[in-house]
Amino acid sequence: MVLSEQDILKRLMGQRDRVAAAAWLVVRDAHSAEDIFQNVALKALAKEVTFDSDGALMSWAFITTRREGIDWLRRQKNAPVSLDETILEVLEAEWADESLAQADGRSQALRDCLNELPEKSRELLKLRYFDGQRCEEVASLLGAKLDAIYKRLSRLHNSLKDCIETKLNQAVS
Amino acid sequence: MALNQEQQGRLLRHLNGELSPGETTDLNQFLKENAEARSFLRGVAEQAVVVADVERLAQQREPAKVVRPVFNPVKWAVAATIILILAGSFLFSFQSADRGLRAEVVATHGPNQHLASDGVTLPALMPGVMLKIGDKLRTLSSRSWVNLKLNDGSHVILSGRSSMRLIHDENHRAFLLRYGNLWATINTPEGVRPVSILTETARLKTTNAQFDVETKFEEISVINVNKGSVSTERLSDASQVDVGADQQTIITMSQRKALTALRQPEPVNYWNCGMLSCPEAVHGRWLKSNEENDVRLRAMPLLIGENKTIHATNFSVRSSGSPPVMIEKGSRFSIRLTSKTTDPLYIGITTKKRRGGFFGKYTEKLEGDLLGQAGETRKINISISDFAPLDKSLSSSPVGTELTDIWVVSRMESAELEVHHVEFLPREVQP
Repeated sequence: MVLSEQDILKRLMGQRDRVAAAAWLVVRDAHSAEDIFQNVALKALAKEVTFDSDGALMSWAFITTRREGIDWLRRQKNAPVSLDETILEVLEAEWADESLAQADGRSQALRDCLNELPEKSRELLKLRYFDGQRCEEVASLLGAKLDAIYKRLSRLHNSLKDCIETKLNQAVS
Repeated sequence: MALNQEQQGRLLRHLNGELSPGETTDLNQFLKENAEARSFLRGVAEQAVVVADVERLAQQREPAKVVRPVFNPVKWAVAATIILILAGSFLFSFQSADRGLRAEVVATHGPNQHLASDGVTLPALMPGVMLKIGDKLRTLSSRSWVNLKLNDGSHVILSGRSSMRLIHDENHRAFLLRYGNLWATINTPEGVRPVSILTETARLKTTNAQFDVETKFEEISVINVNKGSVSTERLSDASQVDVGADQQTIITMSQRKALTALRQPEPVNYWNCGMLSCPEAVHGRWLKSNEENDVRLRAMPLLIGENKTIHATNFSVRSSGSPPVMIEKGSRFSIRLTSKTTDPLYIGITTKKRRGGFFGKYTEKLEGDLLGQAGETRKINISISDFAPLDKSLSSSPVGTELTDIWVVSRMESAELEVHHVEFLPREVQP
């Protein structure tokens, strides 16, 4: 059965964080990743393509996202070196294997965990990922050494991951 | 096994754009073999986009700050539906062919295609043919153009590789520009309905203006207004702005930036396409760098008529809103390219009047002996005075006009034409 526009929109919105994250891995700019996700969503609705399953839709969405990301990189001056496409494909496949329910739960848990972060940690993440500052610029702004910023980011990412797992386990129990 | 801090640091340094190509190759291998590393990378990517999303929402609650867009499925569904409706409107429009838009073909050049409203392919357009609502026309190559005269005396020119359909939109006489370049001089008498131009991203309306529209990758519309005023609307969020004389606006799907009209930049007399950083390449296929060459653009086939194919690269000089490029006496091109045969190549340009409409297309044939040994990368210098008009109706020289696009074409697939660099230079000043 062919997915309706409503189905497509629902599935894509359910996987929004993962598709935008796949774009981010290529372009490494959160706002451009969001733009790419919106373009992909619009293409899925507006173009003469049909999807007979969630799997087909998500596979198409990840491939289209990667292509758009690579096109975006080509238009940039001093674009960073991208990962090999075969690695990006593996990462996308791992994302696609996650069920919609799992993905939804993880997204909400992550948002909750972010809200619980201390102000300083949240400021660091904001500078790096919302303002799009490079780590060197973040270090300069915060008066810290570059290595210290990497260590703090590393710890923050790990603690957010632990927080998500704790919240998901609590929800199950 | 859990990643150690050094391994996580390496992944974060990659995301910061710090790793060299060699280090990235090692990282690819590491990621291929290590599921934990992939999981960490996916986790960081998800956290990055969610951090940005949460911050965007936080800023939306603070009206004094700049608002970043948030995906609104209803809004986007509406925008998508509008596009679908507009694209599909021709299906209904042939039932109402007498609602006011008729266009007479007054000049053509180069290959074109004409499809009637019922989908039937008609002979190529010739002067004197009348088009009506529902008709679709395509200009098939960079050297093509079709000049239409509307029933109120206004003119619309479709140029380059472009596709357009005459439709009916909100009681306006309208053109749906699917892709390509359109130049319009609209002069509507009082009481006659305005003219609309629709693209994938924008709706333009005017009763009196001279302007041009270019769509790029079907998702970006660049509008330059030379005279009069054009009311523009971004379809993704219905935001609107009036673009006056000497102003331009760029309309994309994204709502990240507010829709604004800016003064057209002052003209320059230099342009170059450094390939990887060249958003102006609009036709061709990028080839990765290798031991011998940097990134370059491979010519792609274009079907320009029955059993007739050319292989072309195309650069649209102003498609990213960059300054107008003036052609002066003594201006010249420097082009680096590879052709695997000694068959001739054709370099062409499109020009527009200074702060005005379509001026003409000019071309220069490069004979095989100029191209040197087949397969070698050659640097070719061509003076603007070498270019000849494509049509006898055109002025003999493009000097004093603005450059809008450049194409490099081979008729032979076996030439495997690759363009490495294109530069437009001012005249050489003798010391």
